[in-house]
Amino acid sequence: MTDDGQTRIERLLGRFVGLSGGERVLVSVAAVGVAVVVGMLVILAAGYGASCGTPKFSLLGVSFCYDPVSVFTVLFQGAFGNVFNIALTLQQMTLLLFTGLSFAIAFRAGLFNIGAQGQFVLGSLATTVTILWVAPLVPDGTVGSLVLMPLGLVAGVVVGGLYGWLPGVLKARFDTNEVISTLLLNFIATAVAYVLVERFFNDPSIQGTITRAIPSAATFKPVVFPSNTNFALPLFLFALAVVVGVYLLLHRTTIGYDIRALGTQTKAAVFGGVDAESTTILSMTLAGAVAGIGGAIYVMMVIGRWQTGTPPIGFDGIAVSVLAGNNPLGLVPSSLLFGILESGSQAIQFNLGIPRQLVGVLRGLIILLVATPELFRIVGRTLNRRDVIDLSGGGTEP
Amino acid sequence: MSRRRVFRRAGKWAAGVAVVIAVLFVLRALAPSGSVPEQILDAILDTGYAGSVLRVTVPIAFAAFGGIFAEKSGIINIGIEGFLILSALSSIVAVQRFLEMGMGTTTALWLAFFVGILVSIAAAAVFAVFTIRYESNQVIAGLAVWLISLGLAPFVSLILFQSVNSPSVETFGTWTIPVLSEIPAVGPIFFDASPMVYLMLVTAPLAWYVLKYTRLGRRIRAAGENPRALDTAGVSVSRVRYVGVLLSGVLCGIGGAGFTLGQLGVFVGNLDTSIGGRGFLGIVAYLFGNYNPLASLGGAALFASFDSLQFRLQQISALDVPSQLFGILPYVVVLVTLTLIGRTRIPAALGEHYDDEE
Repeated sequence: MTDDGQTRIERLLGRFVGLSGGERVLVSVAAVGVAVVVGMLVILAAGYGASCGTPKFSLLGVSFCYDPVSVFTVLFQGAFGNVFNIALTLQQMTLLLFTGLSFAIAFRAGLFNIGAQGQFVLGSLATTVTILWVAPLVPDGTVGSLVLMPLGLVAGVVVGGLYGWLPGVLKARFDTNEVISTLLLNFIATAVAYVLVERFFNDPSIQGTITRAIPSAATFKPVVFPSNTNFALPLFLFALAVVVGVYLLLHRTTIGYDIRALGTQTKAAVFGGVDAESTTILSMTLAGAVAGIGGAIYVMMVIGRWQTGTPPIGFDGIAVSVLAGNNPLGLVPSSLLFGILESGSQAIQFNLGIPRQLVGVLRGLIILLVATPELFRIVGRTLNRRDVIDLSGGGTEP
Repeated sequence: MSRRRVFRRAGKWAAGVAVVIAVLFVLRALAPSGSVPEQILDAILDTGYAGSVLRVTVPIAFAAFGGIFAEKSGIINIGIEGFLILSALSSIVAVQRFLEMGMGTTTALWLAFFVGILVSIAAAAVFAVFTIRYESNQVIAGLAVWLISLGLAPFVSLILFQSVNSPSVETFGTWTIPVLSEIPAVGPIFFDASPMVYLMLVTAPLAWYVLKYTRLGRRIRAAGENPRALDTAGVSVSRVRYVGVLLSGVLCGIGGAGFTLGQLGVFVGNLDTSIGGRGFLGIVAYLFGNYNPLASLGGAALFASFDSLQFRLQQISALDVPSQLFGILPYVVVLVTLTLIGRTRIPAALGEHYDDEE
């Protein structure tokens, strides 16, 4: 009975090791697990360093200000506790799907698009400005929505795409390292957007660098969810459709084949007739365009205007994609996880007073561990070896 | 590259800089008095400006030196920015604690400087184990180091100071070297400066010499160019790479702690922290300098000159340009130079894992 169970687990493990996809899932799950454990240690250490009136938790006679277990229950409640929390989780997930896709598309072509943040920021500004500009020309109501919503999306896609095209061209024509160029373009995008809004699009009635609100005809209303949630279910389904679309593009079309060939075997791909330059530019442009859609949706569904302090959704997209093994379909569970972390982090800050920056640490840990499959492979091999010894010791091996 | 060619090239660079300065002086003489161009040129042709450029160069240059040692040994290190952030925060935390313990300011500052370096070394050690022993994807692991630091530093600051920004402390100040600082023009720039500036001016040639002429330097270069040959010669490639990444940690630690304790006196945890991309500028500086510490110092100074120019241009009221636009000046300059230099000759085995044959 136990022997049977053991061999079945072994067979299962063997199959996972053989299948690269399955192995990647194992690595991702293990990475999240280890990150959670390390996160608990960070909370313990922080709870030891912080000063508070009444300790929440004590272990072996030492008292700590934060209870690492309750952090994760509060985090989970903050993500799923009620319909508002669920809406916030899904809202974050929707945005992360786009920036995650942005990194994944470029990565499949062998490129690192660290610039989704800048593409997102400029895409969202383009959407806002375009809508504010066109809105006075169209009637309010349904007609207005039918004009403004697609227009807003197109503006985000075009500007995001152009901002991805730029480092693509620099890479293809001048061999400029895209890791560095996209990173620098993030800093530039933030500053340029700030200056444009401050100088030309500022709402004079409000303090700060902020545009006027876009008309309600151009905002996506909550469907199914309560009216004050800033989450529209159809957009979530649209995001899933884009994910499937990109998956099909990468795996069922010649363009997708070229992109993947360039990413896996550059020399062979070029020898086989793939135009490396145009494929590089195309994949970076696509990556930027997808991040731009995210920016457009951020404006039209979430905040209804452009203002400084765009959350780091573009950088989170890197984590989402890396965790998903850069597979579009894998983005669904991994963006859900990061959506949970994001909405849950607001709850742990509010309820427990633990700085939400903790989630940034968890996010980085997950990336680091997922980038290190060898760590888990070595651990797995060590465990496996012990199994073999056990079996031969029992004399069951032929 | 022979020693004579090095000197010839250094001479060319010095001549180039002299020509640029001379042209600026001529333009200054031609500009109508009181005009905006004159004000701009006055802001540039000022020993105060040159001095501030040197100060601003410090974190960028040390980040570049750190990057060179890691990359020469074959490990891509995008995590430099993260090491700078961690050493910046830990040095300021340490100086606060030491002052509370009743230490003198100078002692506290120097001890805290070493604490910052130690923390950076510790972070580099973790990064090294992941990339060398466990063969992480180096670019993604480096990004992770940056993202972890970007979350961890404000987190720790909030826990300890109840704010993402630390309280401010005194800085190292300047060391005035007698006699030499009396030399007109050059004296106040080079001999009345922060100790971190002197450290930088000493480290650049030292790093160049170590890489080029010492056994350690030859081994580091071999680990990045031809690890198999190094292995065949009986030297552990992993061990050499560990040394490369740890040296990278030392130098980035000097950059982060030296910037914080030598110039800023505070840690800012908002947005991209007070380090604000200087680690990434450092990466471009060594790409610009083609992995040569001396040329990378020049690259760092170039970017720093634009970074410190923006503060001076902001003070010219006739120039009605938003300060944020000046803020991106260094990034735009960096992007353009990066594009123009394009193909640098990177170490042949950069980013490739290597298993020592025991």
